[in-house]
Amino acid sequence: MTDLSAPNAFPVPTIVPLGDACLLVRFGTTLTDQANRAVIAFARLLEREPVPGVDEVMPNLVSVLLRFDPLRAHPAQIAGEIRLRLFALGDSDADAPAHWTLPTVFDGPDLEEVATLLGLSAAAFVSAHNSRTLRVLATGFAPGFVYCGMHDDALVLPRRTSVRPMVPAGTVLFAAGQTAITATPLPTGWHVLGRTDFANFDASASPPTRLSPGDTVQFTVAT
Amino acid sequence: MNTRLFITRAGPLTTIQDAGRFGMLRHGISASGPMDRAAYALAGQLAGGGSGAIEITTAGIDLVLDAGNCRLGLAGGVFTARHNDRVVPWPGVVTLSAGDRLSITPGPAGNYGYLRFDADLDCPPVLGSVATSTRAGIGGYRGRALLTGDRVDLRPVAEPAAPVTVTVTPPDNGPLRFVWGLHADLFSPTIRQGFLQQPFAIGRRHDRMGIRLDDPHGVFAEASILSLVSDAIVPGDIQILGDGTPTVLMRDHQPTGGYPRIATVISADLDRLAQMRPGTMLSFAAITADHALSLLRSQI
Repeated sequence: MTDLSAPNAFPVPTIVPLGDACLLVRFGTTLTDQANRAVIAFARLLEREPVPGVDEVMPNLVSVLLRFDPLRAHPAQIAGEIRLRLFALGDSDADAPAHWTLPTVFDGPDLEEVATLLGLSAAAFVSAHNSRTLRVLATGFAPGFVYCGMHDDALVLPRRTSVRPMVPAGTVLFAAGQTAITATPLPTGWHVLGRTDFANFDASASPPTRLSPGDTVQFTVAT
Repeated sequence: MNTRLFITRAGPLTTIQDAGRFGMLRHGISASGPMDRAAYALAGQLAGGGSGAIEITTAGIDLVLDAGNCRLGLAGGVFTARHNDRVVPWPGVVTLSAGDRLSITPGPAGNYGYLRFDADLDCPPVLGSVATSTRAGIGGYRGRALLTGDRVDLRPVAEPAAPVTVTVTPPDNGPLRFVWGLHADLFSPTIRQGFLQQPFAIGRRHDRMGIRLDDPHGVFAEASILSLVSDAIVPGDIQILGDGTPTVLMRDHQPTGGYPRIATVISADLDRLAQMRPGTMLSFAAITADHALSLLRSQI
């Protein structure tokens, strides 16, 4: 007999309007590995099989935004096309397209504190931090900004209680089981681990960023 | 000889805009574009053709046409425009010759005005648009707001469209309409009712990224929703900051954010909101997304 209850790898999404010119396909309300994988897979499927009338697709941590022209397209029709594609969504859509090595100088002002909070020496923390290949979970917060994860449960810390007014492009940040990289100067409440020369934003390039959601990344100690 | 504008006085946050830089959300860049889209379009119809606009704020602008000649369309809010000291209608059309002065000062209403031309504003497109993104620091004039002393070239268009005469319908004064937002269900029924029933006012902190609202009855004073997963933001989203301040995110919004969003102002009402001056009282009304669409379609 066919087992109809075989576990589906991806959470069942909801389709909600975001204003009157966007629909959001939400695979979860908290960040989980499976919800994020589903987002990346679905965004990729939408690139292969675009929905007529949709002008832009933006994958987020746990949702995919579809923007349409409200004067031309109708959301009910787009939602129908979304459902057609959701039923065709499979694990193979989540295969990583690109791998990146990101040499990083771990000399940030919060490195010692982060290591101490996790009960490690700075060297042991860096080694643990770099031990796992991470995935680009999402982009879009700021030009070229990337969230990478997920770290092991032993490497989860909340954000700092205070915000640093400005950190430069190339700052490597750490919080919430993730490592993030800035590509423009930003204020941040995340812990500053160090810096990388890897520049993920160039307004004169097309496309202007290099890392895409789903890419795998390996942090290494810059030599 | 090129037609060239010489900016002799620029108010803060005078920016060059076009319809917007679309398709760049995943790269971390929101579309920007005019705060008042209808006024931008009207100024374009009046000018008859060129791409790009100078978006002015309540401080106004003074400029001199260095060389050449051009026709301008003026629209958005109610400003006072003087062509060589002679007051010209707003919205309206003015033709400048070399050496002519145009001076625009605030009038009784509105925050944003548009100057469009019968020629293209000669700025290099960045990622497909000349819109200035004040957040990303790209587009427009060297990625920044216009300053006193800047010179902007106008590039003739092949066949300028004939300018049209237009009638302006005064904006609706009713409540600002919204569709419930991504996190509406996380707010208590008391807060949701307060949002529908209590008056709010446009706050003093007001720019292309967002408009802070005053909440005199403290509807959101107790709204503490923490640690939301970061999610997509759209123009018109009303987010509630950690201290309970409601903020409507506008054209230079960040593409994603983690503050809870109770509602999204409908597209048909965003221009009107952008033009409300600090201190203006407003109330909110909930409608369906379908209704929002029919309102938008009936505007065109």
